[in-house]
Amino acid sequence: MNNLAYKRETFRDDYTYRNSPAAIRRFPFPFAEDHYMYSVNIEQHQPGAPGSIVEHAFDIDEHYVSECKDKLLTLAQDKGRYAALPHMMDAQWDFLELTMESLARDYPQLFTLTKDVDHWTWRNRPLEIEDSFIFGDASTLPLEPFDYMGRQVQGDFVLLDQREGTLFADAGFITSQADWSLAFDIGMSWHEWHGPVPQVEKMGIMDRALKFLMSLQQGSPVRRLNWTMTINPRLDTSPEHFPEWGPDKLTVTPQNAGEKAHLRVELQSMFRLPRSNAILFSIRCYLISLEELATYPRWAKRFHRVLKDLHPDLLEYKGIKVYHEAVLAWLSQHDDGAEIAAGTHPG
Amino acid sequence: MQHGYWIRSKPVYHSLSWQHRAQAHVLVANGEAGRSIVRLLHQRLPDQPITVLYHPTQEADYSKSLVSLAGENLHVFKRESELWHRFEQILQQSVMGTRLYAAGNEYFLWQATTLAASHGVLSGDVMREQASSLARSVYCVHCKTISHRVTTNIAICTGCQRHLLVRDHFSRRLGAYMGLMIDAEEPGNVPEAEEVYP
Repeated sequence: MNNLAYKRETFRDDYTYRNSPAAIRRFPFPFAEDHYMYSVNIEQHQPGAPGSIVEHAFDIDEHYVSECKDKLLTLAQDKGRYAALPHMMDAQWDFLELTMESLARDYPQLFTLTKDVDHWTWRNRPLEIEDSFIFGDASTLPLEPFDYMGRQVQGDFVLLDQREGTLFADAGFITSQADWSLAFDIGMSWHEWHGPVPQVEKMGIMDRALKFLMSLQQGSPVRRLNWTMTINPRLDTSPEHFPEWGPDKLTVTPQNAGEKAHLRVELQSMFRLPRSNAILFSIRCYLISLEELATYPRWAKRFHRVLKDLHPDLLEYKGIKVYHEAVLAWLSQHDDGAEIAAGTHPG
Repeated sequence: MQHGYWIRSKPVYHSLSWQHRAQAHVLVANGEAGRSIVRLLHQRLPDQPITVLYHPTQEADYSKSLVSLAGENLHVFKRESELWHRFEQILQQSVMGTRLYAAGNEYFLWQATTLAASHGVLSGDVMREQASSLARSVYCVHCKTISHRVTTNIAICTGCQRHLLVRDHFSRRLGAYMGLMIDAEEPGNVPEAEEVYP
């Protein structure tokens, strides 16, 4: 996807966001089986197949320009979506370096990074940005380094500081979150900010995931998929703005579910950073309407089955309960009950 | 009550007891929690110096009992801000091995902890006792105001007047629980509040 035609679309108000057939085909459908429960589904974040969402370290797609615009709208409404505790400045530069180097390497037509020792020049063609600055000197950038690049890469980002035998969420750039608050959670330890996630406690999942991440090595990033559902293609499903998107959940009917209800998949990737020894936790959100999903019959069938017997705690936690029946009714039209082979592939 | 669904960010508190392996002991308390310090002073005292900082409130004042037990080691403050000012001075001068003890309402406990953390004291090295009301401080996730002394499961935000559901998700940095608009999906549909944090 190196020669992109960027779609002009919105993630709020009139919600004109749509996926092209190519974007549907590469959608990270997360269900390999008809049943879903949490697991530590972590794998190496190695470059994947050309054209796939994991071809590169950070995926830039047809929604890039519109998504970056939406970030600015959200930040203008709520400055608390970006926060960094003072001891995270090294990690901020790590983030800037990793994202600039990755984008310039993977999308040379779109991004260029030139370096003359510490004098760096960054060109972002799609967003029409060009800045020269001194690496390590925050006063030479228009924004803090993490804020500066957080606005130029799709997705949300958390910088985790490792100390006292755990990880602390000590900086974040969060504008497309599935209902969690950076302003509230910043500074929390791993177990604190995952506190509200149901069922994982007794399964020991968070303990194992923490142990795994604490030993993450530089140059060996890892990834996993997570998912939820969102009504309308809205990136900013924050608790801060819950009064704006909460009422939409009650508008879903068996007739309009195909258009309104979206599967929301997060590609979470984790990188050890060299200077700070912090971990970058990136959360890239992909949205697809049920109608778009049903382009591939096996996806609609499988999602119907996953939702049908999803654990009640997960229905509650993911906020699906209020429109569960309507969504099942819509999906059931696409499920003939025939067996589907294991795997997440579309066709 | 939701059985089996426990949010791990909600702190668990214990009764204060002396940590005898120490260089010094600094105790901070407010209001009703003065009684916990009295109880502590009745136990076998450690050999090292003890400093007690106490802020009496309208609800409870244990200054008299405390002064007869702690004498000149007791410092009573009319204003809580004065207590924190003094606490900060002590932290600046403290040596390794100084034990910190906090007793009070939950907001007070985490103010003490946050202040101590800014001087390099780990959260786990501050002993905390929730010695008074179970009332919660509630952070409104919408307007970012913290409302204090909330005793009910649903509270009206003192900042934006929304009805907030008081969740069990707790931020130690803010010393507050998360409050989320309860009728966001269906405006006006607010269940009756129950006093569950007396």
